[in-house]
Amino acid sequence: MRYILLVLLNLPIILLALFNIITQYKLKKISLKRLQHQFVLWLVILIVLVCSFPVYNLLSGNPIFDSSQFSLFDIFQTTAIVVIIYVLNRQRQKIELNEITIRDLHQELSIKLSDTKKS
Amino acid sequence: MENTSRNKRDKIHEMSNKLKVCIVIPAYNEEVVIHDVIKGIEKELKQTKLSYEIVVVNDGSKDATSSVAHKAGATVIDHILNSGAGGATATGLSYANQNGFDFAVTMDADGQHLPKDVVKGISTVQKLGDDLLIGSRLIDTKGMSRVKVLGNQGLSLITYVLFGINVTDSQSGLRIFSKKALLGLRWKTSGYEFCSEMLWRAKQLGLNISEYPITAVYTEYSKAKGQNNWNAINIVKSLVRRRLIEAFE
Repeated sequence: MRYILLVLLNLPIILLALFNIITQYKLKKISLKRLQHQFVLWLVILIVLVCSFPVYNLLSGNPIFDSSQFSLFDIFQTTAIVVIIYVLNRQRQKIELNEITIRDLHQELSIKLSDTKKS
Repeated sequence: MENTSRNKRDKIHEMSNKLKVCIVIPAYNEEVVIHDVIKGIEKELKQTKLSYEIVVVNDGSKDATSSVAHKAGATVIDHILNSGAGGATATGLSYANQNGFDFAVTMDADGQHLPKDVVKGISTVQKLGDDLLIGSRLIDTKGMSRVKVLGNQGLSLITYVLFGINVTDSQSGLRIFSKKALLGLRWKTSGYEFCSEMLWRAKQLGLNISEYPITAVYTEYSKAKGQNNWNAINIVKSLVRRRLIEAFE
């Protein structure tokens, strides 16, 4: 039940991330390559979450990986990590876009000013 | 009368057939040497049939680099903010692209590149049709200190490991760009790591990259101004970060 709760809590975030990257691709803001990479990243996160129960069963007999079952706190903690990854990724993309915009602006401004000086 | 007008017509034709080359010199606090660098390259280019413009991108210098370069006859683009070697080079190449140059050459402002190597590079690009030609200091390492050779070889190895580009001198500032390269080549880093990133972007665009041997002249001035091997650590850090970021993009 707890594992289902984990998936249910995280599924909307992952779907939102996938929806965002598809929208950006359709608006031609990102390349096909970037779409593929982001898709793979979020699908891996989804697979890890969905597979956490069978993985737990698989590893529970192994002394290195043996641990108690998920607590409710663990579920919220894992969800918080996924949310942070989502937010970080979005912010990094925005910062990089802003950096490029500022650099292009600086370049254009410098060239235009030198043209003005020349004339 | 008819002869005169034909001569004039021929001259215009000859002029219009001349290849336009933009020499881009990114400079930061180079008032001591920039005059000689500009005059040196100008003298060499005057002996060719090329139509040229020398553009100094003054990257927010605190000294008189801008006015000295202007007096020496170069077109000066003043950066309002210091943007690093990568940013200054990008501005110079953007200027060349906007003004319809056939080729662009980037060279260092500290006088380490010989003007004859610039002309040799331009004629090599014309002959072989490369999109990006790198003047390699490491094909013949005469005049370079062992430490500098090792540092540059290390960075070339890192460039190969991270981006799969096999060149002997990934950090050389003397590069010749075709019109195709000018049109498409863009990079994201603004420090010295742009040298390796530029090669990666060129590879992604499917541009032809090759090298030719050049002689680097290391004066006391250029040794003092040049990059030390500690800066190589920063370059490597930045390149690894860039490679990892784009693995998730």
